[in-house]
Amino acid sequence: MSSNPSPLNSSRFEGCTLTGALSVLTEVRDAVCIVHGPAGCTHHNFSLLHATLLSNDRLEAPRLLSTRLTENDIIFGGEDALEKTIARALSVSPAPTSVFVLSTCIVETIGDDTAAVCAKPRGVPVVAVPTAGFLGGVFETGVRNALSSVATLASPAAEVTLTANLVGEKNLEYGVDENAAEIARLLARLGIGINLRFVRRIGTGDVERLGAAAVNILREPALRPVGEDLKRRFKTPCIESFPTGLAGTCRFLEEAGRICGVDPSEAVEEERAYQAEMLSRFADIAGSRVCFRPPHPALNPDPVAEAVCAECIEALDLTIAPPDGVVIPLPYPAPVGTAGLRRMLHRWRVLIRGKGRG
Amino acid sequence: MMKQIALYGKGGIGKSTTAANLSAALAGEGLDILQIGCDPKHDSTRMLMHGTWIPTVLDLIRERGDATITVDDVVYRGFGGVRCVEAGGPEPGIGCAGRGIIATFQLLERLDALKGDVIVYDVLGDVVCGGFAMPMREGYAQEIYLVTSGELMSVYAANNIAKAIARLSRRVRSKCTLGGVICNAKNIDGERDLVEEFAHRINSRLIAYVPRDRGVQVAELNRQTVVEYAPESNQAAVYRDLGRTICENRTTSIPTPLEMDELESFALEFVQV
Repeated sequence: MSSNPSPLNSSRFEGCTLTGALSVLTEVRDAVCIVHGPAGCTHHNFSLLHATLLSNDRLEAPRLLSTRLTENDIIFGGEDALEKTIARALSVSPAPTSVFVLSTCIVETIGDDTAAVCAKPRGVPVVAVPTAGFLGGVFETGVRNALSSVATLASPAAEVTLTANLVGEKNLEYGVDENAAEIARLLARLGIGINLRFVRRIGTGDVERLGAAAVNILREPALRPVGEDLKRRFKTPCIESFPTGLAGTCRFLEEAGRICGVDPSEAVEEERAYQAEMLSRFADIAGSRVCFRPPHPALNPDPVAEAVCAECIEALDLTIAPPDGVVIPLPYPAPVGTAGLRRMLHRWRVLIRGKGRG
Repeated sequence: MMKQIALYGKGGIGKSTTAANLSAALAGEGLDILQIGCDPKHDSTRMLMHGTWIPTVLDLIRERGDATITVDDVVYRGFGGVRCVEAGGPEPGIGCAGRGIIATFQLLERLDALKGDVIVYDVLGDVVCGGFAMPMREGYAQEIYLVTSGELMSVYAANNIAKAIARLSRRVRSKCTLGGVICNAKNIDGERDLVEEFAHRINSRLIAYVPRDRGVQVAELNRQTVVEYAPESNQAAVYRDLGRTICENRTTSIPTPLEMDELESFALEFVQV
């Protein structure tokens, strides 16, 4: 979870498809992404992705190329510029194992046939990702279309293993790896391993494993169309969200067990005990008076996060007492699993103790 | 003072024929004329150029870039010394012709080519996007002439252009106004009355009635304007009158375009007559 009200956490239901798609595609680490449009569209996204990687202690530069369209390309069509940029992408060192091509609003306006240019055989997969800038939708649409496009690189698996894919991790948020580790911990209780983080720090060749998982675990319900797409392609059932809350985390174990044919009752019992033990460490803040405020002036409170907080309020016997209670920002997005709750409660404790001292 | 006019109307209605003959007639009065074809099919000035297809501005930009283009590359002298320019366009089905018109105007301005006694802009059938409204924007054509026959679709297109003029004229610095309506006849019964009434209803007036004349086709088969091919003909006299009317025209207006249902009932009135 992240309680950091960073602009990076602003609504995924606004913005540009390009940013959403690139947040996925640049995690295919041996690929090159081409943004077919003016240089500025690449510049903005490069800056954002680079800054985000740095703030997550990753000293990597996203591998982006721009077709650098100018006014004359807009008048006469930009397909030649795209051809040339694909050739440039294939000649960079180290050579890409795959190339993803994203279209901007202007090339969609002038009618460039991006998909047709990409479809020419080149020995390396060149995948046209439906984006079309703002014309193609919003940030979230870009994420979904990018995931479905990467999935086209995989064929159905010969054998399904007792594993899960993590689908659509929010690569721009803080705590991505902590959240993935929490899912891995929970699934390990059921004897289910992680097959593929789709898409997070993988290579093009890894995508081939996509169909081998017994279950796809979507990061959030907004990715449902991707879950359906993957089900169509690989017959893999899906769980629609990472788990949130105490009861929600146990329900997640039950659902994963049911889908994978594993009896979850023992795992659920273990997790309940683990949660009780975790809550007992916060006994010192029991009975405190708190009140919540929205995570950020520009964000509406997330009902899932509110439900999770209500659950913890009850479990720890806290009192909601505006306006004099300790002000606690609602988390955004909701914390993942029991570990996410633990991190959230640590933050509550810091705020409550700080108020006591102050 | 330089006069900048634009001819707009439905495709195939005879805009280019009207524009070329108008330019030829005005040149005959000793005026320095620049005619700019703003249609990707680039045939506006062809009769003035005796059938030659001159290189288009956009072809040159596409082939060479715009840095090295000179006035002599894009401006060609035709009949009567009329200076001819064709904007051209991208290949069909690709790119953005409207933006091409804008780029052409910017280049012509940079080359200081937009000068003379009269500039005649001949613009494609309808205002399909902002690019084709470019000649109507501030600094370019200040008087728009709608070319129409009595056919409903042609009147409909003229009405659409009137809408664009009305919209553009709301801009603070707009100088774009409607100079009048030219009826390029198709020999339909009551055609003149219909177009005259249409002009009146959109707050304008019929400034010329150009009858259908076989002489125009004969002249064009000989790759000339009728003003050049048959200067003594009645038709050439009609174009010379049109030229004088436009030169002397001091009455322009902001049009009040008809709504679709008004236009339909208007057409019905004339059918019943």
